[in-house]
Amino acid sequence: MATPGAMMATASRPSARVQLAAVFRKEVRQTVRDRRIMFMLIVAPLLQTVVFGFAVDFDVDRVPTLVVDRDGTAESRGHARRLLADGTLLRARFDRRGEAATIFGAPWGAGTSRSPAEAERDLDAGDAAAAVILPRGLAADLAAERSAEVQVVLDGTDPNRATVAGGAVSRYFGDLGEAMARERLAARGIPAPAQIEVVPRIAFNPGLKTPPYMVPGIAALLLLIVTTIVTAMGLSREREMGTLEQVLVTPIRPILLLVGKMGPFVVIGLVDVALLLAVGTWLFDVPLRGPLPVVLVGTLLYLMTTLGVGLLISTLSTSQQQSFLGGFLFVLPAILLSGVMTPIRAMPGWLQAITWVNPVRYYAEVMRTVLLRGGGFADLWPQLLALALLGGGILVAATRRFRERIG
Amino acid sequence: MKGVLARSLVRIGAMAGKETLHIRRDPRTLYLALVMPVLMLFLFGYGVSFDLERIPLAVADLDRTEASRALVSAVVASRELEEVARVAPQDGPRLFREDTAVAVLDIPEGYGRDIAQGRRTKVQLVVDGADAVVANQVLAKVDALVRSETRRLAGPALADRSPPIEVRLWTRYNPTGRSALFMVPGLAAYLLAISAVLLTALTVAGEWERGSMEQLFASPVGRLEIVLGKLLPYLVLGMIELQLVLAFGAFAFDVPLRGSALLLFTIGFFFLVGMLGQGLLISVIAKNQLVATQAGALSALLPSMLLSGMVFPLENMPLPLQLLSRVVPARYLVHALRGILLKGNGFAVLWPDLVAQVAFAILIIALATARFQRRLA
Repeated sequence: MATPGAMMATASRPSARVQLAAVFRKEVRQTVRDRRIMFMLIVAPLLQTVVFGFAVDFDVDRVPTLVVDRDGTAESRGHARRLLADGTLLRARFDRRGEAATIFGAPWGAGTSRSPAEAERDLDAGDAAAAVILPRGLAADLAAERSAEVQVVLDGTDPNRATVAGGAVSRYFGDLGEAMARERLAARGIPAPAQIEVVPRIAFNPGLKTPPYMVPGIAALLLLIVTTIVTAMGLSREREMGTLEQVLVTPIRPILLLVGKMGPFVVIGLVDVALLLAVGTWLFDVPLRGPLPVVLVGTLLYLMTTLGVGLLISTLSTSQQQSFLGGFLFVLPAILLSGVMTPIRAMPGWLQAITWVNPVRYYAEVMRTVLLRGGGFADLWPQLLALALLGGGILVAATRRFRERIG
Repeated sequence: MKGVLARSLVRIGAMAGKETLHIRRDPRTLYLALVMPVLMLFLFGYGVSFDLERIPLAVADLDRTEASRALVSAVVASRELEEVARVAPQDGPRLFREDTAVAVLDIPEGYGRDIAQGRRTKVQLVVDGADAVVANQVLAKVDALVRSETRRLAGPALADRSPPIEVRLWTRYNPTGRSALFMVPGLAAYLLAISAVLLTALTVAGEWERGSMEQLFASPVGRLEIVLGKLLPYLVLGMIELQLVLAFGAFAFDVPLRGSALLLFTIGFFFLVGMLGQGLLISVIAKNQLVATQAGALSALLPSMLLSGMVFPLENMPLPLQLLSRVVPARYLVHALRGILLKGNGFAVLWPDLVAQVAFAILIIALATARFQRRLA
């Protein structure tokens, strides 16, 4: 039995459900009406995933390499050929100078006596990223059991590439040297010592391909960019245009207004994740090994944090421009410290500590572990808990600020 | 004729003055535009690295002999890998899911016996392949460590002899392989793209949104003068940012300047003009700050990061993306900055980059102005 007072109250103010539905309807209409925004929210992330997926490949191969063969024997030519055989190093192409093209267009080392100084100039000009210098007398020295020295000049501007290229050369000649040493022992009748072989077994991603790991991480980044900045700027825009005040004089309670405003973005976020997963599995062979409900729960908790941050930024800004810049000031470090692009373990300790309060980190871990490693709630509860705590904290802080701002 | 030009310059100056007032009245935007580059550079310089230390490794030692213990301590001795747990061989996937280890070294029973008898023996390394970058590093590191253990076991027979072939690596431009030297040039391009495209897109779109653009048209200032006047303050801001980023890079990460500063700022200048033109074009088309931001992010930020060679090597991309990267101005700026800062390249090597920047700048300004005029007609 409702008391007369309560009935009066309900009469003057519609129930929470009705209020919420009204705001939600208004927001959906407003968002859907602007086709360009819908494009930005749905099509753009999809497009970006495709570009990202193809572009983000850390595999270093085809490093443009020069071989300066100062020995010019059949053996040294053989070494040059085998060195380039596995595709990590690629014979540098020369379009710039005809003379180089003829030398390198010809079979290996035919009359090649380019000097190391010339190789350095090619490195300066960016025509090659590595130069392998086979010394004069290499074949003779090896045959006579004298030791020989192979020099590798590397372009260090890309440290990762330099490491890979240097490693490839070191490994080739290391293997060669070891095989020769064993042969010599055998020739003298000394029994060869024991040899340990490492047999790799690669779990979850046998081809060691980059996209299956990157695409779930990219989903986390795109969701962050789309929801945080759009929310922050959208609210600032309403404040700039004065429409926020107009809605606030209606009987709608501020908190319900906020919840209703977030609604469409939650839906859009979920649609985005579903689309990205579809593209990921279809184009980039992202496996779906774990339970999808974990993805759903993780996504909802993650959206709580990203939308909350967007709201918080909008309450701290006075214009859309500020909201945008503020959004970026959060989004860029969050991306950088998420472990999506570079492993968190490779960061210095104090930066690793900051990643503990980064929601993107947890969501990326959830996505990657569920999809690739087949993890479930049992493995991922710490990440989900962290997201829930962060999301709750941010939302409470943001609503409080929002109330203060309008109160 | 001279008087016309002078009067035009006065009007451009007035527009630029008005825009500067806008910027100065909103110091928060200014701070964000200037603080962001430094903060980002700081984070990138320290945070972007692929070199792992203390990689968590679990060990499944089924042999439990002195030889197997020696192998384990040889692998973890360098501190590149760290033993975090003793497990059974089949525990790998569970550990990977919990993220407690990224690899399991599995030493089978009979390992010690094989070693004692001088036979060829196998150990297994189970690696979490989900993250291919980490997996590759672990494989390479363990492989190298086990090789040196093999050499140690071989004892005097092999180890005393100098190796038949020695490979001497000489890394130029960045001998210690620091990521910061690699990142700073790329980051400069990225941050300039952000501020140039997005700040312009936002201010101009804001004028459309508020209707003040029509008011400007009612004034005697010409269209092109409006465009130039609006871009000028942001050009100055962008040049300040470029210097700030380079100065901070030199100060915090010892990024050298081996080539000509003049060439660097010339290329940077034309890059900025092109980016500002792109921002203008976006704002003329979008006329709405929200849409302009997203369009800017999609057309400028993303390509500047992904297709510029800033982080991801262009040579490894599929051909369509490589071709696409040729119309991304940031690609030429990154190449030129790396050339000037690290390699000391001069005009002789970098002229194609300069030509590309100038061509893009002219093209996009022409396009934006044409579009701008048509909007009003």
